Amino acid sequence: MGEVILTMKGIDKSFPGVHALDHVDLEVRKGEVHALMGENGAGKSTLMKVLTGIYTKDSGTITYEGREVEFHNPKEAQEAGIVIVHQELNMMNHLTVAQNIFIGREFMKGGLIDDQKMNEESRKLFSQLGIDIDPSEKMGNLTVGKQQMCEIAKAISHEAKVIIFDEPSAALTEAEIEELFKIIRDLRAKQLGIVYISHRMDEIKVITDRVTVMRDGGYVGTLITEECTKDDIINMMVGRVIYEDPKTHSAVPENAPVVLKVEHLNAGKMVRDVSFELRKGEILGFSGLMGAGRTETARALFGADPKESGDIYINGKKVEIHSPQDAVKNGIGYLSEDRKRYGIVVGKTVAENSTMASLTDFVKGLFIDKKKENDATKKYIDRLKTKTPSVDQLVVNLSGGNQQKVVVAKWLVKNCDILIFDEPTRGIDVGAKSEIYHLMNELAAEGKSIIMISSEMTEILRMSDRIVVMCEGRKTAEIDIAEATQEKIMHAATLR
Amino acid sequence: MENFKNLPIIKKLGFNRIILVCVLILMYFLFSLGSGRMLGSGDIKNALNMVDYLGFLALGVTFVIATGGIDFSIGPVMVCAGLIAGRLLVTFGWPLWLVLIMCVVVGALFGVVNGILVAYMGLPSFISSMASMMLAKGVGSVFTHVQNSNWPASGAENSWYKYLVTYNGFPTGLVFLLVVAVICAILLNKTKVGRYILCIGSNREAVRLSGVDTRKWEALAYVICGTLAGIAAITYVGVITQVQPGLGDEFNNNAIASCVMGGTSMAGGVASIGGTIIGVLIISLLRVGIQAMGFRPDYQYIITGIIVALAVFADIRSSRRKK
Repeated sequence: MGEVILTMKGIDKSFPGVHALDHVDLEVRKGEVHALMGENGAGKSTLMKVLTGIYTKDSGTITYEGREVEFHNPKEAQEAGIVIVHQELNMMNHLTVAQNIFIGREFMKGGLIDDQKMNEESRKLFSQLGIDIDPSEKMGNLTVGKQQMCEIAKAISHEAKVIIFDEPSAALTEAEIEELFKIIRDLRAKQLGIVYISHRMDEIKVITDRVTVMRDGGYVGTLITEECTKDDIINMMVGRVIYEDPKTHSAVPENAPVVLKVEHLNAGKMVRDVSFELRKGEILGFSGLMGAGRTETARALFGADPKESGDIYINGKKVEIHSPQDAVKNGIGYLSEDRKRYGIVVGKTVAENSTMASLTDFVKGLFIDKKKENDATKKYIDRLKTKTPSVDQLVVNLSGGNQQKVVVAKWLVKNCDILIFDEPTRGIDVGAKSEIYHLMNELAAEGKSIIMISSEMTEILRMSDRIVVMCEGRKTAEIDIAEATQEKIMHAATLR
Repeated sequence: MENFKNLPIIKKLGFNRIILVCVLILMYFLFSLGSGRMLGSGDIKNALNMVDYLGFLALGVTFVIATGGIDFSIGPVMVCAGLIAGRLLVTFGWPLWLVLIMCVVVGALFGVVNGILVAYMGLPSFISSMASMMLAKGVGSVFTHVQNSNWPASGAENSWYKYLVTYNGFPTGLVFLLVVAVICAILLNKTKVGRYILCIGSNREAVRLSGVDTRKWEALAYVICGTLAGIAAITYVGVITQVQPGLGDEFNNNAIASCVMGGTSMAGGVASIGGTIIGVLIISLLRVGIQAMGFRPDYQYIITGIIVALAVFADIRSSRRKK
């Protein structure tokens, strides 16, 4: 670690009704990877937005390269050398890689854009980073991992001195994460200051030098990564140890009936001849790598995407499911992996979202029975411990975990017996995560049957009674939890 | 200011709507000042004539915009309904009550067409409503052999339809409009139809994945819109008596501008019936006021354009700040 390049001291920021940042400190040195951790809603993003001029701070000081600075917009920050690589990539898929990297500052030749020069410059950047991407390729043809590399290349081309990575690994495969880490280590060796925001505890230990932990908008402390354990960090984040042991045996009774049977399901390239059974009170884990076809299987089963063939039986009776309507009628509920796009209506209230699937039950005569709706919503707010000031709060103002609970509430209000949880804890902080786990166990104990798609091995091993492993659209294994090991699952997930 | 905004009464009425009403009142005095006289009952009556049919159009298109769509066919559909019903009345001798119902039926049918094109066939509403705009103009012209449709003048036989706009100087049209507006507000805010329309505008895919037949509800928004364009036709003929084929485009713009000014978001998901009505009043007063100030009517387009741009800009600014 070199000298200090960036110091944020006593940063304070309030929004109407929320004290978002309460005197937060952060110090980044040259040649350091500095983890910024905290539950969702702890204030990490707000702090970074203050740094890059998206928000103005109420008080506190930012010292950058020895001078006190205040950026008024991201462009000023960028020009000074502070760049964010966002979780959601801001790339234009129809442009080439090079055009994306040099957007807004294109090389010109005789009044026309000089694509050749831009390609050359991009190639130089890529070789600096030691990555292999064709600059003239259309951005949309690259994998998410490669797109992220382009974002990094773009950041470097701005002669960045401080790069902020906002959950960079969320959408990456293991191999891509390895590549990302290699690049980050390179950047560190080049004496850049790096802020690394992530929820993945394992990564923090691997890649970072120091950890700053935030909680509820406040500064908790800064540790040297080498000198602390995972549990130390988690304790600072939530104030309790929450990592639990994996399940050792199935909690489903021997004689539990089969509630859902899927036979020879085919839908596009990603779902090839998938068959499985789900029993009453069971949590059936779906494991596999990115692109294994798990979400596609769930969507085809739910009627969200068309399927080519395959039979679905519910409680032994064959059913036709051609649309989400059919699925919901048959008592299936689906919690999408992409909550904001497919799960909640962000601009609407908690009550409106909770009754979305069952609004007909809340209509009296011509009108919506607001009282009945509010009562049902309140019931599930209490039951799921959703943190919301009222039933009329807009869902957009809730944290990720609480939004997820609203989606769960939607299906519970509808009284669905079969629930598909697709990556139920993605983008959710540790505390809310363990609450969602509790809830799933409770639901299963009540006799609801759950399909849980998850990319986190620990989650699969901890929650499932039985595990289906998929690879490239096919089911490659079905393992009882008693016999499941990481190695077995990984082996099946990479069967080609 | 923040405290003021959070008063229960202000929240209930909506801060933006209060501002709009203030703008409306301010405009009245500005125009009075500019024209050197207080705008009198004549001017107001003049403005109200426009309010009547523009109001119904704007109410209808509010539902479509709430879904995140747009409908450019409402003006021509209104004119088309007036043309067809007029010819049925005058040339074919249908009873007046029946042709008034026909106005609504014609409007509703165009709504059904738009609904099918957009919700079931997946055309962008921008394009499909352009197509049905052409369709409306064409059908109206063909049906009347490109002749004017001359409805009975005041005092003539079968002229009681004019009472729907004014009765002995009493603005029945305004009452009619306000009653329908209240029904629309209830429909939008208190029923399943309105709930789904707004949610579709906010996040269609999430609504579909909740097991809701989004196509049906989206189509319904266009049917409501078309039906209201049909009702608009009744007050339209009540005001202008002589309907010319091939017209109607300019009403689209005014109606859509009224909605947006009233706080209905073009992105969908947010709509205000009260706001739309105030928007209609502003646009109508603008027209009368500009004339009273002695500008030629063609300037009115320029001034309306500028004011609409400013209003929408203000709206975008305020919603950005909220985020």
